[in-house]
Amino acid sequence: MMPMNRDNMPKDSQQDQPVVFVVDDDRSVRDALEDLLASVGLGSMLFASSQEFLQAERPDAPACLVLDVRMPGLSGLDFQDELARQGLHIPIVFITAHGDIPMSVRAMKGGAIEFLTKPFRDQDLLDAIQQGIARDRIRRQEEAVRQDLRRRYASLNQGERAVMDLVIKGLLNKQIAGMLDVSEITVKVRRGRVMRKIGAQSLADLVRFAERIHEADRGWRD
Amino acid sequence: MIENRPGLAEIAVTLRWAFMLGLMVVIFVADTITALEIAVAVFYVAVVLIADGFLRRRGVLVVAASCIVLTLASFFFTHAGAYEAGVINCALSLCAIAITTYLALTRSSVILAEHEARAQLVRLARVNTLGEMTASIAHEVNQPLTAVVTSANAGLRWLAAGPPNLGKARQALERIIGDANRASNIVAQVRNLSKRADPRADWQEAPVLVAGVVALSRGELDRNGVRVRVRPADGLPLVLADSVQVQQVLLNIVLNAIDAMAATPAERRELAIDLACEVPGFVRFSIRDHGTGVPPEAVAGIFDAFYTTKPQGMGIGLAVSRSIVEAHGGRIWVEPQPEGGAVFHFTLRARQTRG
Repeated sequence: MMPMNRDNMPKDSQQDQPVVFVVDDDRSVRDALEDLLASVGLGSMLFASSQEFLQAERPDAPACLVLDVRMPGLSGLDFQDELARQGLHIPIVFITAHGDIPMSVRAMKGGAIEFLTKPFRDQDLLDAIQQGIARDRIRRQEEAVRQDLRRRYASLNQGERAVMDLVIKGLLNKQIAGMLDVSEITVKVRRGRVMRKIGAQSLADLVRFAERIHEADRGWRD
Repeated sequence: MIENRPGLAEIAVTLRWAFMLGLMVVIFVADTITALEIAVAVFYVAVVLIADGFLRRRGVLVVAASCIVLTLASFFFTHAGAYEAGVINCALSLCAIAITTYLALTRSSVILAEHEARAQLVRLARVNTLGEMTASIAHEVNQPLTAVVTSANAGLRWLAAGPPNLGKARQALERIIGDANRASNIVAQVRNLSKRADPRADWQEAPVLVAGVVALSRGELDRNGVRVRVRPADGLPLVLADSVQVQQVLLNIVLNAIDAMAATPAERRELAIDLACEVPGFVRFSIRDHGTGVPPEAVAGIFDAFYTTKPQGMGIGLAVSRSIVEAHGGRIWVEPQPEGGAVFHFTLRARQTRG
């Protein structure tokens, strides 16, 4: 009776190993960062430019992006905008050789976790990265829940959705039958199928589900 | 990949030598077989002017002296004609050769002196940009230092692990040595920069200047998959240039072009460097890229100090380029391309070709 997270659960536990993406045009800095991250047990992927990052196949895992502001081609700040446009919501930790206030304001407004000046204290960077990964993990879980809700709602046919909409408004089967111009038996059958497909145990469950799907649709754009 | 023609300039010089010597022989023969009253030797003036077009000071003097010797030789070998008229004609010819040589040589040294004075101005102007230069150098040094600090932190963490990972700690230390040496190399380069403060202008072959810059930026070009075509026009004159300074200008434009083409599809990443002599007295260098181009409203201000499109750029490269080119008596400007990309042009004084 609980088909809820059957698809997500095993995938999540398998791919929960976080990864840190490092984009910096200086090889020495990249290599040193890779080693620092390895020393605290974090896996990383290194990229010399934002283009390289976009073209690479990235693992589906909680992630954090360590991004140099000054880079050939697209600058780190422009790249942040570009990622947002493409709907890639990876938390970003900026590192820069000489950052000024307008730059850091722009980065933080764009949703960056931290804006660090090179050379940075390793603990500051690692803290920011852990924070980014934690944030990404939450985002991914919410996303998984949203998708699950969407998938379950999508599995209802038109008749079932019509019944569900009226059920959560608190109407009785008899009233629903009258409104939809079907027999009360049909309403009961559809209502049973709705409860099963959605995975709701009670009317209260169903109402909560309907609320969440509303929220998910609204929250989609945030 | 490079359409480079290094032999071209040498061929041009050889041809001029041949033409000049041929002319000398023809004048000598004509002067000897004609009567004394006919002053063919005056035409040696043309020989001196040709020599001034491509030889250094000493070469011009040697050629002029040869002409004087040949004039005197013809005078003694020629028997036909009135002796008195012959003496006067010979003296006139010798005067003409001497005066022409003097004028030609002073003209060249005036150009050099003027250039030196302007170079002095550039040096003064550049003191103002010193702060900006320092910031740029600071960035270059900061990168390896960041790597050093990060590697050292990683090393400490490997040592603090239980059990300590000595192999990894050793690797971190080795990286630190490499990066510290890199930082020290940058410092050494800066020292070299300040050493060659004295600009020295000389007659240079434009294609050689370009070839040097292409070689310098080879790594950057290859890394970015940029192809280069150098197309010197035929028979280019020499240009008056401090090769280090002019190569800085070229390098700056080439590196800008590489940056501008970062988002260009690989098959269009091409840099064309054309050398032409369309306006007499000047050689024009044109560097064409297929990059992001220059917006029309930026064409005027792009050479101003602190103008930059790069978020971390200093806006100094093109401003310094302009002061260098102008100190050389040339001009620098940019032309946006309708089909995308930009062409940067600059001119340098060319050695006048006469004869």
